[in-house]
Amino acid sequence: MAEVGTAEKRPFTAPLSEGYLVVDRKKCSGCMSCMLACSLVHEGKTDLSLSRIQIVQNPWGCFPEDIALAICRQCVNPKCVEACPTEALHVDAANGNTRTVDGSLCDGCQVCIDACPYKPSRMIWHHEKGVAVKCDLCGRAPHWIEKGGPKGKQACVEICPMRAIKLVKEAPEQEGDAGYEVNLRNEHWGWLGFPTD
Amino acid sequence: MGYGYAGKILRLNLSNRSVSTIDTAQYEEWVGGHGLGSAIFWDLCQDKTVSGFDPRNVITIMAGPMAGTLAPGSTRCEMQGIGPQGYPIEWFTRSSFGGRFAPQLKYAGWDGVVIEGKADAPVWINVINDHVTIEDARGLWGLGTRKTQEEIWARVTGNRLNDWQAVGDAYTTQKPAVLCIGQAGEHLSRIATVMHDGGFAAGQGGFGGAWGAKNLKAISVRGTGGIKVADSKALIDTWLWHKTNFQFNVDNPRNEAPIVNFTDYWIINQSPGAVPIAPIWEPCRPKGCQGCPVACSRRMASGLANEAHCFTTNWPYLGIIPPGTQPTWMTPGEWAGGLAEPTDIHGLAKARYRTTDLLNDYGINVYDVFFADVYFYILFLMDAIGPGKAINCDLPFDKWGTEEYKAAYLKMIAYREGVGDDLAEGLERAAERWGRRKDDLESGLLPYPHWGYSEHNDPRAGVDQEYATILGDRDSNDHSFDLPTHGIPRVASISKTEPVISAERLVGILSQKVLPLQGDPLMFDYSDAGLYSASRAKTIAWGRRYARFWKDSVGYCDLLWPNFFNANAPDFSGYTPEGEARFFNAVTGKNISFVDGMEIGRRTWNLDRAVWVLQGRHRDMEVFAPYVYQVPSTRINHFPVYENGQWRYANVAGRALDKDRFEEWKAKYYELEGWDKITGWPTRSTLEPLGLGKVADELQRRGKLGG
Ligand code: SF4
Ligand code: SF4
Repeated sequence: MAEVGTAEKRPFTAPLSEGYLVVDRKKCSGCMSCMLACSLVHEGKTDLSLSRIQIVQNPWGCFPEDIALAICRQCVNPKCVEACPTEALHVDAANGNTRTVDGSLCDGCQVCIDACPYKPSRMIWHHEKGVAVKCDLCGRAPHWIEKGGPKGKQACVEICPMRAIKLVKEAPEQEGDAGYEVNLRNEHWGWLGFPTD
Repeated sequence: MGYGYAGKILRLNLSNRSVSTIDTAQYEEWVGGHGLGSAIFWDLCQDKTVSGFDPRNVITIMAGPMAGTLAPGSTRCEMQGIGPQGYPIEWFTRSSFGGRFAPQLKYAGWDGVVIEGKADAPVWINVINDHVTIEDARGLWGLGTRKTQEEIWARVTGNRLNDWQAVGDAYTTQKPAVLCIGQAGEHLSRIATVMHDGGFAAGQGGFGGAWGAKNLKAISVRGTGGIKVADSKALIDTWLWHKTNFQFNVDNPRNEAPIVNFTDYWIINQSPGAVPIAPIWEPCRPKGCQGCPVACSRRMASGLANEAHCFTTNWPYLGIIPPGTQPTWMTPGEWAGGLAEPTDIHGLAKARYRTTDLLNDYGINVYDVFFADVYFYILFLMDAIGPGKAINCDLPFDKWGTEEYKAAYLKMIAYREGVGDDLAEGLERAAERWGRRKDDLESGLLPYPHWGYSEHNDPRAGVDQEYATILGDRDSNDHSFDLPTHGIPRVASISKTEPVISAERLVGILSQKVLPLQGDPLMFDYSDAGLYSASRAKTIAWGRRYARFWKDSVGYCDLLWPNFFNANAPDFSGYTPEGEARFFNAVTGKNISFVDGMEIGRRTWNLDRAVWVLQGRHRDMEVFAPYVYQVPSTRINHFPVYENGQWRYANVAGRALDKDRFEEWKAKYYELEGWDKITGWPTRSTLEPLGLGKVADELQRRGKLGG
């Protein structure tokens, strides 16, 4: 609710992304191959600090809370884009409206990193280049032969041995995590002795 | 330094608290991991005959070029040095562990760590990228391995555990990777492990005690750098080649177990979450080392026994045998969790998992305590142990097998209380103290065939692991051959199904893949004749070369590599020998062949052999415990055998090894390796072409060069 005496701020809107990554938190094995693949196709090296997807885990945690998969949600109302003072962070019409950083315009202020409402922030600080980077659904991944983006392939989806990451075309429910944390397990998973619910 | 490497090795002298670096390029010919460690140990350990507890012992911890990149099962980290567990000589030995330590070490800018000397008070090492400090560990001394790691995480991260944390001008969400010892290592146990995360352990060798002797509690590494690879496109492509053709497809498997939650079936199809072996009836996920598509361990809803593997989760299973039942010998290799009913979810299973955690928290090697546990119980039934008995011990034997008993037993070992002081020496040394060693090795009551290490498999059945061990330093723990040859018929017999592949076809696949010794199916004949053949000499030589290079130096995991048989491939033909070099070359750009790697493995095996010779190795010592020759095995063990012109899987129970024939076989093996047949020592004509002329000179100076 708007405070008394202030003008009500309209939510920032942007054209919808044409693709969204969703994950199965109960299916992930914590192998971090997705992080390695992400940094490999974007940076030409394996570097966890530069991966656009972050897997955070606790060896002694209780399943399923022992793992969190921090993916960019390509938000309907992207706070990162809204916050960017230089328009480096923009909706990339040429890449299916993914929320993307134009590195040449980024002045490294890091406002977007704080603006992303999720923890850990899905905005990634590229400490070597001094700019922010983020998930572009592999639309602009220079170290890969595949075509990426919402109409192409994503390295994390392709690599994941547990098939725990998927690309969907419809915007998931934005409220809470349920839209992005889905069940990708079938009876074969259950046959191995793992839960399918 | 080239692709796949961080470029430098961290050298620590704990005596004078100095920190220096070694340029990795200086040792590049050894590639990584074990090769690096052996070469550095050779150069830096001045007196190789000292005890593992001596400050002059040099411990190396080396990553391979693949660690932290993207290749399936490639993040093993290799620890080497003089291992206090060996008997009667503490051989120069190795142990390896998975998890995420090797990747973090490299992201911090280091290919390995060398530890020399001894600190005058407990220390831990804090590595944050290039910044290395030797910290006071008095506040950590006495803690178990879990609390030690959690305390170090808190100190390094300031407790910002699930968010971005600044490290210099970079950020990470990852916890530091910590390697540490528990109370067993602090008490200089010869069966103490070095632990990492929930269940990753350097077990065999006794390095936990060697760390304790150096007053070294932990090494924490945290890195925000990356590893450059030579060809990222080829690397991703090779992963996808592997995923499409060889990985278990969790959504639509080509080959699925005949029974629900039949974890042993992973041997056939490499399905995830299976190496706790005994099925787990609790909500959980598979959990893997960094970059592993198999993910052999689990994390549970209870948070108990998380990441623990194999025998650490299965030894506590002894607790559910009905009270009063006499335990029978089963080696870890034969231990079948099998088809336990899904009824013990809440009670006994949880007791098991707590016991697993206690074991890992103290940092004790499960292999030894398993055998000692059963040995004790048998001695108890023989009236040889108990209060006031020949072995004076007040463990509550009426509660043998329970969680309470096991907790008392483990505590006694961790703190060296009562007979725990003997057990902390390892069971073979303990039996020596009790005056039982000689007799019990005759009868087989003490199933310790070699060098103070227990059986892994039955040395009278499959023999490959045990032959490799007696020619080496420690339980070889090499599953290259027994997973397919023994695992396939074993899974069939547990599930009462036909083997997924005939013995003849299996042996055909194996013998095609063992480059450069391919084309001889008799390498995989486990009939009586097959145990002493020239072909078997090739089997052992191939296994040692492969292990020394592709596994221990490159860092490929024993459970994924080599891959001969693969049930996810339409023709059952696995990714060895193609996969090894494809991944390696995509990362390093070195463009070597599979066989080039085998040759580096042979070189490394010879260097290790030279160290053992300096330590006192002679052909005459390479003899199994008497029971192996005298007492026929009674356990059921199926293997491929070739008899009357036919291949079949046969139960090889009922035989002992023939001592004379084994001695003759040794001569065949030494000849194949180019070692002196009388002494077993490497010769100059073998060492020089391998570029080990300096090693030959040193052996000659000591009067130990083979003629
Ligand atoms: S690759 Fe898949 S299984 Fe591995 S950490 Fe990423 S999401 Fe989890
Ligand atoms: S970076 Fe954060 S705010 Fe921006 S689109 Fe991704 S999840 Fe939304």
